[in-house]
Amino acid sequence: MTELTLESVDRDEALLDAVSELYGSTRAGFLRGAAMGGAAMLSTLAAPPTAAAGVSDVAILNFGLRFERLQATFYTQAEELGTIASMTRAKQTWAETLGAHERAHVRIIKQVLGPKAGPAPAFDFGEANSTDAAFTRTAVAMEDLTVALLTGIVPQVHDRALTAALMGLLTVEARHAAWARHIVGTVPAPAAFDTPKSLHQVRGVLARTRFIAEQPKMTAKRRPKYTG
Amino acid sequence: MTGWTRRRLLRAAAAGGAIVGGGAALTAGGGNTLLAAPSVDTDARILNFFLLLEYLQETLYRDGLEHGGLTDELAAYARTVGPQETEHAAYLVKRLGARARPRPKADFGAALSSSERFQAAAIDLEETAIAAYIGQAANLTRGAVGAVGTLLSVEARQAAWLRSLAGAPPAPRAADPARKPSDVLAHLRSQGLVS
Repeated sequence: MTELTLESVDRDEALLDAVSELYGSTRAGFLRGAAMGGAAMLSTLAAPPTAAAGVSDVAILNFGLRFERLQATFYTQAEELGTIASMTRAKQTWAETLGAHERAHVRIIKQVLGPKAGPAPAFDFGEANSTDAAFTRTAVAMEDLTVALLTGIVPQVHDRALTAALMGLLTVEARHAAWARHIVGTVPAPAAFDTPKSLHQVRGVLARTRFIAEQPKMTAKRRPKYTG
Repeated sequence: MTGWTRRRLLRAAAAGGAIVGGGAALTAGGGNTLLAAPSVDTDARILNFFLLLEYLQETLYRDGLEHGGLTDELAAYARTVGPQETEHAAYLVKRLGARARPRPKADFGAALSSSERFQAAAIDLEETAIAAYIGQAANLTRGAVGAVGTLLSVEARQAAWLRSLAGAPPAPRAADPARKPSDVLAHLRSQGLVS
């Protein structure tokens, strides 16, 4: 049985608008760098995974917020496009429930962050949520990736009340992933332990999908370097 | 940091209506998530509590396959998930070393009388374990939290799979609730699974 991964959903290796939003680079700048050597460039743009211990809870939560927004928008658009209405009743229940949960997760994380919540990026899912088959394939991969992301970030969080709360979201994402896998006839729990991914790795996967379409403007002009 | 986070978490939980078991599930003290200072001793207590839950699940699946007259789907589930519980228990034993608790002598008697009863008992035990893990995982030292997270997510996958087979909603809430150890143990006692 072929394992579904988000990487396999969009095999287009063309370069990635999403990166600039996640890496704080302009698209043009990213493209120039990428021409110099794609994967290597990705790794230089991103914070090294070893630096994760120093990432603040606010930064971690904001990444989580972007990811939950990505998911919520994916499901909401599929409803608006009529993709979900075209499915069997059992799949509709599944897709509608996941959408409602992801929207609730966005609300929860936004409220936890309060004024520190980052702006919502624009998303472009292309064809990924416009047909039943593409939607389903992408949803399976996305839910598994969310589990990998949350298992990766939970041990990085400093505040233990927050860790406890994230555990209760992690289990729901894992339920989504298992439910999705059951629907497509893949083993819902393929291993005794899930494999965590670092923020850095998840950024790389997201970048390859090009689902995040809009880069926020550079917030400040580069200051001249003080050399004295 | 801690102060604003807790306050906001509580507000968010209430506003989102997502976290069942009361907003108290997210606060320190008096709730279902009791925050104690992480230490090697606390780790040992918590991991032994988790080990009890893994042993019980392992036993239920093993006995179910031997005696439960399971449907084909449930048997396939138990054959996959049972060995995963064994791996979870082995991980915890390795982590605990000499401090690991002994295996409980659990009798699932009634749960083994039919496929339906087995299914109901398994759902109950999986959900109990998930809530127990959520309630205590954050009290572990940093080194233990990561591994327990990758184990807990698999428990949640198992629960969703099982609920799918039972025709129950696989993910009934937007956020799963926590349960404190005393409640979990009282529940297991009421099922005759621990003395």
